[in-house]
Amino acid sequence: MEFITENLQILFTGLGLGSIYALVALGFVLIIRATNVVNFAQGDFAMLGGYAMVLFFTGLGWPYWIAFIGALLAMAVFGVLFNYGVYYPLRHRSFLPVLISTLGASIFLQNTVLYVAGPQPKPLDKLLNFDGITLGGVFLDSQYIVILVATVALVFFTFLFFEKTLLGKKLQATSQDKDMARLLGIPVALMIAITFIYSAVLGGIAGVLVGPILFVSIGMGSIIALKAFAATIIGGFGDVKGAIVGGLLLGVIESLAAQHISVPYKDAYAFLALFLFLLFRPQGIFGEKVSEKA
Amino acid sequence: MPLLELTNVASYYGNVQALKGVSLHVEQGELVTLLGANGAGKSTTLKTISGLVVPAQGEVLFEGRPIHKLGPEAIARLGISHVPEGRRIFPGLTVRENILLGASNRKGVPRRLLEEEADEKFTIFPEIKSFENALGWTLSGGQQQMLAVARGLMAKPKLLLLDEPSLGLAPLIVQNLFGTIRRIRATGTTILLVEQNANMALSVADRGYVLETGTLTVEGTPKELLGNEEVRAAYLGGHHA
Repeated sequence: MEFITENLQILFTGLGLGSIYALVALGFVLIIRATNVVNFAQGDFAMLGGYAMVLFFTGLGWPYWIAFIGALLAMAVFGVLFNYGVYYPLRHRSFLPVLISTLGASIFLQNTVLYVAGPQPKPLDKLLNFDGITLGGVFLDSQYIVILVATVALVFFTFLFFEKTLLGKKLQATSQDKDMARLLGIPVALMIAITFIYSAVLGGIAGVLVGPILFVSIGMGSIIALKAFAATIIGGFGDVKGAIVGGLLLGVIESLAAQHISVPYKDAYAFLALFLFLLFRPQGIFGEKVSEKA
Repeated sequence: MPLLELTNVASYYGNVQALKGVSLHVEQGELVTLLGANGAGKSTTLKTISGLVVPAQGEVLFEGRPIHKLGPEAIARLGISHVPEGRRIFPGLTVRENILLGASNRKGVPRRLLEEEADEKFTIFPEIKSFENALGWTLSGGQQQMLAVARGLMAKPKLLLLDEPSLGLAPLIVQNLFGTIRRIRATGTTILLVEQNANMALSVADRGYVLETGTLTVEGTPKELLGNEEVRAAYLGGHHA
C-alpha cells in the first residue's frame, strides 16, 4: 500500500513537471511547423514570462491575477518583437541562418535579464493561498494542481483554436504550403507572427506556472527547453500530440527514476530516454517513418 | 480595356531567363489558352501574373491597373485565382477545409455563408463530395485536381488561372474536367488555361497563344492554330507526355 501511494505521489509530481515540458514543447512544435525552424530561444520565453511576473507582482506589487495577465500581454508583445526582430528579416533564407538567429536571441535575452535583474534566482508566490490537499495518502501540492489544470485547459484551447476556427486552419495551411497559402490570399507573414505570439504566450505561461516551484532564474529556460526539445523528438518531431504526450512522459520518467534510482542524476534521465528513443524508435511515438518531408 | 494585359514581360528563375518579352491580353469573359512544350515558360507566365514571380521588365495590368509590383496575397484579393501546377492541396487539411480556405482573399464573409458556398461546390464537383472530411493527401490525382479547381472558385475570381489541369490524369477524367471548365466558363468567369494537351485546350478555348522558350510565336483562334502547319507539327501531331 505504501509503495502504491509513494508512486502515485511521484506520478503526480511527474505529471506536473511534464506539463511544463509539454507547454514549452507545444510552443516548439507550432514554430517548427510554421517556419521549419527550431527556435532555440523557446525556453527563454518561459524565463521571460517568469521574470515579467516577478516584476509585476513582486516588484510593482500588482494583484496576482492582474500581474499574471500583464505578464501574458508582455509576452504577446514580446512575440511580435521576436517575430520581426529574429525571424522576419531572415524568412527567405534557409533554416540555418534563422536557427543561429534564435540561438543569438537566446544568449542576448539571458544576458540582458542578467544585467537588469541580477544573478540571484527570484522566488514567486503560488497562485493559490493554500499548500495543497491530501487525497488517499497522496499530497497534492496546490501549484501542481494549478499546473495540471492550466495545461489541460491550454491544450484544449489550442485544439479548439487550430481545429475549429478558420484562422487556425489558415495557420495550418501556412505551415503546410506557404506559396499556396499566399496564392489564396492568406497573409502568410501575419500568420507566422500570430504563431510566434501564441508560442511566446504559451512559454510565458509555463514560466509563470513553474516559477513558484523552481524559482525564477536566468537558466531556468535552458534546462526546460532542452527537455521540451527531447519531448518533441520522443513524441514525434513536429507532431502536436507528440509534444504533449512526450512532455508528460518525460516528466514522469524523470520523477520515477529520480526516486527509485538516484536523485543527483535527475536531469540525465530525460536524455537517457531520448537516446533510447533515437536508437529504437527514432520517428518518435506519433511520428511517421520518413527521412525528409516531401 | 482587356481584363488582363501583359506588355513585354521578362522574368527570371534565378539566372535563367524564363520569359523574354511576352505580350498578351485576355478579354472579359474569354477563355484563352497558352500552349507550349515543357520549359517554354507557361507556368512562369502564370506565376508572374499571380505574383509568385516578380518580372524583371514589362508590365502586368489587371482591369487597367499595374499589379506586377504586388505580392501574391494582394493580387489574390483583386480577384485573380491561380490553380497551380501539381494542385498544391493542403495535405493535412480536409477536403472541406481546403475548399473553405479558397475564400481567404474575400474579407469579412461569415463562416456560415462560406459553408453554404462549399456545399454548392460539392454539387459542381460531386466526385469529391463523399471525401468531404478526408484529408487532402488521401485523394487521387483526379480528385485533387477537382478539389484544386473547387478551391480556386471559392475566391469568386474575375480571372481564373489554370496550370496544366490535365497533367497525370486518365483520359476519361480529363474529359470530365474539361466539361467542368466549359461550365465554369459559361458562368462568365474569364479563364487563362495553360496546357500541354493542346487538342483538349483548343476544344474549349476562344483564342490561343503558343509559347516557345520564353517567346510567344503564334496567336489565333483554335481554327487558325489547328490550321497552322508548324503548330500542328509541334504540338498536335505528336504524342503528349
